[in-house]
Parts: sequence; structure tokens; C-alpha cells
Amino acid sequence: MDYNSFIENFKEQFIDADEISVDLGTKFRDLPTWDSLTGMSVLVMIKDEYEVDFSADELKRCNTVQEVYDLIKEKQQA
Amino acid sequence: MKRAVIKALDYYLPEAILTNEQLASEYPEWSIDKISAKTGIYKRHIAAKDEFSGDMAIKAAKNLFKNHNIDTGSIDYVLLCTQSPDYFLPTTACIIQDKLRLSKRCGALDFNLGCSGFVYGLGLAKGLILSNQAENVLLITSETYSKFIHTADKSNKTLFGDAAAATLVSIDGENGLNGEILQFEYGTDGSGANSLIVKNGGARSNFMRSQNVSATEPGDDNLYMDGKAIFEFTAFEIPGLVKETLKRNNVSIEQIDLFVFHQANQFMLNTVRKRAIIPEEKFFIHLQDCGNTVSSTIPIALKEAVSQNRIKKGNKVFIAGFGVGLSMGATILQF
Repeated sequence: MDYNSFIENFKEQFIDADEISVDLGTKFRDLPTWDSLTGMSVLVMIKDEYEVDFSADELKRCNTVQEVYDLIKEKQQA
Repeated sequence: MKRAVIKALDYYLPEAILTNEQLASEYPEWSIDKISAKTGIYKRHIAAKDEFSGDMAIKAAKNLFKNHNIDTGSIDYVLLCTQSPDYFLPTTACIIQDKLRLSKRCGALDFNLGCSGFVYGLGLAKGLILSNQAENVLLITSETYSKFIHTADKSNKTLFGDAAAATLVSIDGENGLNGEILQFEYGTDGSGANSLIVKNGGARSNFMRSQNVSATEPGDDNLYMDGKAIFEFTAFEIPGLVKETLKRNNVSIEQIDLFVFHQANQFMLNTVRKRAIIPEEKFFIHLQDCGNTVSSTIPIALKEAVSQNRIKKGNKVFIAGFGVGLSMGATILQF
């Protein structure tokens, strides 16, 4: 899993993906179009692309894109 | 070989409209514009206090008969899909037979399904026709979820609208829409029953509803939806359903001219569309003015697609319904 494709996949889940910029340090909850639907979409993306089970509660504990990335990595190695 | 075809479609929307402006003034903290940009819903029609599924079903059927010049004497079976029947018994479809003055030699029954109901109804109608039990089946979907939704439940109020749709499914015939109903795929996962449920009113609550009108929070009398569970079911199960239905019909995704899915909400539909790798230009969305009307979304969208000339003779149209149950079904219509 490389950083760039992960950031791209993460960004794709926002309805205004073409207009926002996202990097590892982005606090995704602060983006104006973030809401629970975006969250569901992110969880679906993670299950699909990275084949790990990531719960809504786990996502709730993450604030930055980096934290999501790290937790996926951790789960993949487990 | 006999065929079962959709000959005509029509629908009825109740008069009263719940607009985004009304929702915004009722719930100032609810950022309705942002939400609508995602759901794709701007208005919903709401059944009057004294208007019930049976009434709406009759109005939809009358629209169908009148606008498509259908001889009511030809109807020999009525199927009504509803989760808000007028009574525990008798079957609302029997009342409809009488109110529409249909033949007394009609068969009539209700079946209880939600968002997958239209597809299941087509499956039942096709079975009746191909087994020589009927020639002209009146399939009605009619739902008043608004009566289940608690007044403080702004999420569900934002999504759901009331509506009824009437579809004539007939034995082979060149006139009308002539959309042949091809092969089906179905799916059920009852382990998700609690994800979308109205608990009270059935035998398990001793047929009681608490009817606590002063309750400030939704309770067991009301519609409960675990949005996340439904989203996951849809996102993970529907792409497989699409694949299996295509396989069963021996067609490729490229051969489908239009996809008309249950119109749940735009955001979820887009997620499913991307996961099923369906091109956006082949994916029909019709939610703006009526919201999620449960079992009527597919027939309403089909009728709109026909009138917008998005469905033409020779087209293959893929339809899929999914939701409460949890239940899903899909088929292809060959116009």
C-alpha cells in the first residue's frame, strides 16, 4: 500500500473530490463535505481495496489521514 | 414460447409536499442544503392523514387505466406490494378489486416487501402468466412510510416519500411498452431484519402500538433504520447481484442500455454504481421530487426514463431492488 494511492482513494470518497486537496496530515473531519455518509464510503473503500475489517468506531478514533493509513497497515500485518 | 411483458406503467404521488425549506425551518441545526447535495432529494410527497396505502393504490391504478386506455375487465390478478396495509385482514388487494370494479374472477393478494418489492412482484406476475394462471396482472406498489416515521426523526423524514405505482404485466403483446421480463436473481439475509424495522403493531407486541404521541424520541412504534448496515448491505451485496443477474441472462454489462436501481439516495447509488463498474451515463437517477418511495422507486423511475426517451425499443434495462428484509432482487427488461 503506497501513500499516494491511499490518499487518492481516500479523497475519492468526498463528493467534491475534484475540488479539495488531501494529504496525510489532513484532519478529514474538518473538510466541509465530511459527514457520516462519507465515513461509510471510506469504510467500504478500505474493505474493498485493502481487504481488512475496519469498524466505524475505529474510524471515529482517527483524526488524520495518516492515522487511518497506519491502522490499515497494522491490520494488514496482524 | 410465451413471454411476460410490462405493458404500461403509471404512478400516483400524494398532494402534500414536504420541501427542504420546510425541513430547514423545522430543524435549523440540520444543514439541509448540504444533505440534499448528497442525497439528491429536494421534495417528498406525504400521504394525507386520512389517505392510506389502499387509497393510493387505487389512484395509481386509475391513472394507469385512464392514461393507457386499459380495459379493466381484462385484469385477472391483482398483486399489491405494501408494508402499510389498510387492515390486518382482509388483504388490501381484495378491497382494491372491489373499488376498481375489477372482475370477480380475479385473483388478489398482498405481499409484504419494501425496496425490493417491485422486482419480486414482477417475478410473481411472470410466474402467474407463464404457468397459465393469469394473462393480465395488475401489480401495484403502495407505501406510506411517513406514517411510521417519528416527527423528530429528521434523517428518515429527509429520505422517504409516499407514493404508489401501478404496472400492467401481460402475456405477450405488441402494443404498449412491451418490456419483456427476462431472468431473475434473488437474495435474502434475514440476519439483518433489525436493521430496518417497525417493531410494534404485529403479533409480537400483542398487536399493540403504544401510540405515545407525546414521545419526543422515536421508539418501537416508529420506523427504525440502521443506515450504516443498509449502506454496507447495498455496497457489498449489490455488485455481486448485478454480476449474477447478467450471467443468468447471458449478457455483458456493455449490452445493458440503462440501469434503474431502487432509488434509495444518490450518494449510496453512486457508491454501488462505482463498485459495480457501471458507467455514469447508463445509470438512471430520479429522486429529486419524490425521494425514496420504497417499492415504487423503480416503476416511477422507469416511467420517467421512458418519457425522457432514455428507454427505447430494443433496449435492455437492468433493474435491481434492495433493502428491508434484508432482501434483494434483480432482472433485465428487454424492450
